[in-house]
Amino acid sequence: MALWLEPDSENITPEAQTDLDALSALRESAAIELKEKGNEYVKLGKKYYKDAIDCYSRAIQQKSMDAVNTSILHANRAQVHLLLGNNRHALDDAQQAITLNKANVKACFRGAKAALALGSISEAIELCSLGLKEEPENMELSKLKAIIENKAKESAAADAERASKVAKAQVLASIILDRGVSVGNPDYEENTAHRRPWLDDSKLLHWPVLLLYPESMASDFIEDFCEFDTFAAHLDNIFGPDVASPAWDSKCNYTREKVRLFYKSNKGPKLSKGQLLGYLLEGKSLPTEIKDVEDINDNDSQPYKYLHEWKIVPEKSSLHDILARKDHIIPGIPVFYVLSKGSSFYDDFLSGHW
Amino acid sequence: MATELDELIGFLSSPSPQKEARKSIIEALVNLSQVPKLGEFIIQKGGIEKSMELIGGQVQILNQLLTLLIVNLTQSDLGVKRLLQEADKLEGLYVRKLVRLFSKASEGVEDYYEHVASILVNVTQRESGRRLILDPKKGLLKQILPHSDSTSLVRRKGVISTVRNCCFEAENELASILSVSQYLWPALLLPLAGKQIFRKEDTSKMPLELANPLSHERESEGESCIRIEAAEALYLIARHEGGRKALWSVNGPRILQIGYEDEEDHEVMEAYERLGSLLVNEGIVHES
Repeated sequence: MALWLEPDSENITPEAQTDLDALSALRESAAIELKEKGNEYVKLGKKYYKDAIDCYSRAIQQKSMDAVNTSILHANRAQVHLLLGNNRHALDDAQQAITLNKANVKACFRGAKAALALGSISEAIELCSLGLKEEPENMELSKLKAIIENKAKESAAADAERASKVAKAQVLASIILDRGVSVGNPDYEENTAHRRPWLDDSKLLHWPVLLLYPESMASDFIEDFCEFDTFAAHLDNIFGPDVASPAWDSKCNYTREKVRLFYKSNKGPKLSKGQLLGYLLEGKSLPTEIKDVEDINDNDSQPYKYLHEWKIVPEKSSLHDILARKDHIIPGIPVFYVLSKGSSFYDDFLSGHW
Repeated sequence: MATELDELIGFLSSPSPQKEARKSIIEALVNLSQVPKLGEFIIQKGGIEKSMELIGGQVQILNQLLTLLIVNLTQSDLGVKRLLQEADKLEGLYVRKLVRLFSKASEGVEDYYEHVASILVNVTQRESGRRLILDPKKGLLKQILPHSDSTSLVRRKGVISTVRNCCFEAENELASILSVSQYLWPALLLPLAGKQIFRKEDTSKMPLELANPLSHERESEGESCIRIEAAEALYLIARHEGGRKALWSVNGPRILQIGYEDEEDHEVMEAYERLGSLLVNEGIVHES
């Protein structure tokens, strides 16, 4: 009969009380035993962690211990969860332990580690501080706090750097669009090692430029072509008086006077502003997003609307003027085709037989 | 005095005064606006806005007088601000209208809009004015520059001074300045090219818009102040590496070298020398 009575009920006979006390003691010693069994399991190694957790859980379920000791149980279970990598459970247990006994510095330590592993940096720091309030001299906690604060700084610095990169890319994208340059899919990434356009101190645009020689399938790469440079200036460099003819040019057709530059018109579609930004940032164009109106107009389903043609580049023009032409869509970076007026290939090429 | 001025300005906008009456009113305002305090008063009473409403009308002599009035009114910063319509949704509309009228005027016929060039000089005293003229999207500089070789001295002077003022923004707006290279270099280099006919080995390195005039007989720029301002504008551009590179790419320094040989005015020679030493000292190494 006495078994069913609540401990704080009013009418408890002395015999009933004795029974209750005895039961209580039993349950408490069972809990203590379970706790010690759990500790043993932990010492036995990873294979037995689950059993350890089991013991602690059963001990907790007994509800027979006081706050301080139950706190220890939770803290112990937290430790095993940490060892198993169950960081969420570890954090929960640690928090429980602290609620029961805020002086449980081990719980603070374990909770902070769990929070750190989960990426909750501010919570981790809070838990360290809580523990240090109880034990200001605790070396482990101080060290852990320092590690976490460092990580927080690094993370903030990385965020700031990324934000600054994005901002720079946005400025660059705006300027490219303002200049009237149409950028299409970057088709030549391998040939150009993912080089990107850039802005100098005077906010002038500089482009890496690829020159292709269709006659020999050779190529040249101009690392820095400022938008207001003329093609003539760069051709002077590449085909200057002191420069030998390329090895493949056995007939010496590709000389300064004979070379001509071309671009292919209307080689769409254009990248949207979002895709352009992605291209400038990541080094790859983003997968096709929602096409905006410009893309729809330029895509290949309307082949007759925009004819691909070879357009000659007047060599005294600046890159700026040629890129601003409405029919010029560059494949990520400007690409020009080099031909020689002295070669029979010239006419073949222009009549479309290439 | 105030009430009389009020009345005068009021007459401007009334719908039916006769042509002669209107002409006299505007003439009076032009004279009065030469006095700074009166000019300010006229501005405050909407003188700029009323002038811009009337300008571009059929009676050409009135247009000419109105440009003179606006020249006077824009001597003050307040006048420039009102003409620029700063902080207004229609910002820049007045200036664009003036540039349009300025550009359309044809040579040979009497030049009713030549004084717009002087208005632009006043407008570019303010940074917002310079930025407006330089803005590539508005294309104003492109319209203005070709008038640098006009027979009208007022036009020539105004255009060169306007460009020179704009070049003070070279630090932040170099790209905008260089984007009109096709018109910019002739405007700034031809006045400094002297009279000599250039040889093929020099002109072959220049774009057509320079090579053509320099290969033929021509009249050189007679006004020393124009030559000086052209040199100053080039100096402001050449302070920046991108500007120097662009100048070299059209064989600019060679043009200056030849032009300097014929120069006799000391002040202008100094301007050439300042520019020259900048190009040599800061410049990219160049074999001539």
